[in-house]
Amino acid sequence: MAASAHMLGRLTLSWLAVVAAAFLLLRLMPGDPVEVFLSHVNISAGPETVAAYRVQWGLDGSVAGQFLRWLGGFLTFDWGVSYQTGRPVATDFAARVPYSAAIGFGGMSLAVIAGYALGFLAAHHPDGVPDKLSRSLAVAGQALPAFAVGLILLWVLGVQLRWIDALGGGSVERILLPALLVAFFSIGSMSRLTRAGFLEVKSSPYFRTALAKGLSPLGALWHHGRVAGALTLIAGLAPELAWIVGGTAVAEIVFGVPGLSERVVQAVNHRDYAILQPYIALVAIWMAVALQGARLLRRVFDPRVA
Amino acid sequence: MIRLLLLAALGLTLALLWGVDPHAIDLGNRLAAPSVAHLLGTDHLGRDLATRLLWGALPSLMAIVLVLLGGLGLGVIAGGIISLGPAPLRDTTQWLAETALAVPTLVTALVLSALFGAGVFTVAAALVVTSWAPYALTIAALFDRIRGEPYWHATQALGVTLPSGVGRHLLPHAWPALGALAGADAGRAVILVASLGFIGLSADTGRPEWGAMIHEYRMFLFTEPRLVLAPILACTCVTVLLHGMLDRRKT
Repeated sequence: MAASAHMLGRLTLSWLAVVAAAFLLLRLMPGDPVEVFLSHVNISAGPETVAAYRVQWGLDGSVAGQFLRWLGGFLTFDWGVSYQTGRPVATDFAARVPYSAAIGFGGMSLAVIAGYALGFLAAHHPDGVPDKLSRSLAVAGQALPAFAVGLILLWVLGVQLRWIDALGGGSVERILLPALLVAFFSIGSMSRLTRAGFLEVKSSPYFRTALAKGLSPLGALWHHGRVAGALTLIAGLAPELAWIVGGTAVAEIVFGVPGLSERVVQAVNHRDYAILQPYIALVAIWMAVALQGARLLRRVFDPRVA
Repeated sequence: MIRLLLLAALGLTLALLWGVDPHAIDLGNRLAAPSVAHLLGTDHLGRDLATRLLWGALPSLMAIVLVLLGGLGLGVIAGGIISLGPAPLRDTTQWLAETALAVPTLVTALVLSALFGAGVFTVAAALVVTSWAPYALTIAALFDRIRGEPYWHATQALGVTLPSGVGRHLLPHAWPALGALAGADAGRAVILVASLGFIGLSADTGRPEWGAMIHEYRMFLFTEPRLVLAPILACTCVTVLLHGMLDRRKT
């Protein structure tokens, strides 16, 4: 119990550090958001209008005070209004998060399951077809640009084969294809990680004993290697989880999904920090939860990790 | 590295020899099919596609150079600190490196674009921030291993100073592993520049850049796929080449 409280405290601390650093960075930038906005909409405003906007956007007072107010608002789902549109950020995000979450989670689960299975088969028969497939997928995942693959997919499926409605459409176009795209770029490296774990088992004495007992090679590898394979996969997950976030953004934009990323890109162009701050906070929560989840999974599977 | 520079020089000379302005608009010649005058045809403003493709390589090459210098430099220094530095500094650096592993590059690039405006330098900065960690951790692991070797103990016994010991006995072992990482990073730099251009964040939409071109020509995907496929192919070829060139390690 004490251990989990300690863990939660550490997680919260590092989340706070990231969010505070981002907040400070955005605040220290030259260019007052209020003046940028007013010059954008061509309003020549008096000082009292500027002050009113400052109060409305929570830009009055000291930076520390601003941060605390923002943090309190964030925790109570009062995320303020977009500088650009004036609409509440929380309702805007609430409509968009499901798409992004479905694509991200879906892509990650697909990649883990497919990568694990492929890694197992690749280790069973090194240099066999699954092994070659896993190797080429790993290279493709490193070397090909995600948006290019997505666009070509769109072109082939939508224009050449006319299987999908390329300009919008239902859940297939909005969730399944983007999730597949995200998964495609992760399967290769995940299968390489899994394969390494299985191969280590294959070279150990107890695996030979299992074979000598008369277990089939495939059965013995599964029985004795499945945990080791899962462990190396989990241990190498951090860069993949980071990729999932970026990959989801690219996939959303390629397939025109009304998810978070589309909004965030607009916000970047307009320096709309009211959108960027909750986005950074959400991404930081996702990364912290995902990494901690991976660490916990490791502890469950591996009694050696204290 | 030398080959990279050669490639860059080659690209530039070609563009200069061509003598065609990538910005030259020729509205009488819109969406022309490939011909001798326009090897890949022209775009919706009558600009020559081949010239624009060549000039589009420039931002990517700049990003590669910046990322390799910044990421490798920081990584080697941080790796040295993790392996050889004093305890408190070492632990902090190690924690930083492990955290940096989990930072999404694209999100970093988005935030930096909001702060400093989009551009090659922003992309390079985002990549440096997220790419130094693997170098550092690889170097630290390697140094730790070598410091258990008898020849390292021998250098210590002989009184070789730390800097010359590092330069002579530690770093030479690190280059092959770092080269492989650098190949991947150079490829990622090209991809990130193009990705940001594609999602509509490039410094100057008029300047040719592969991602920005794909963004601009996106609406012609169905009618003139050539306009979109050419920059995609250019970008893909370069990343695949980079992987083959710098990553000689076979997995």
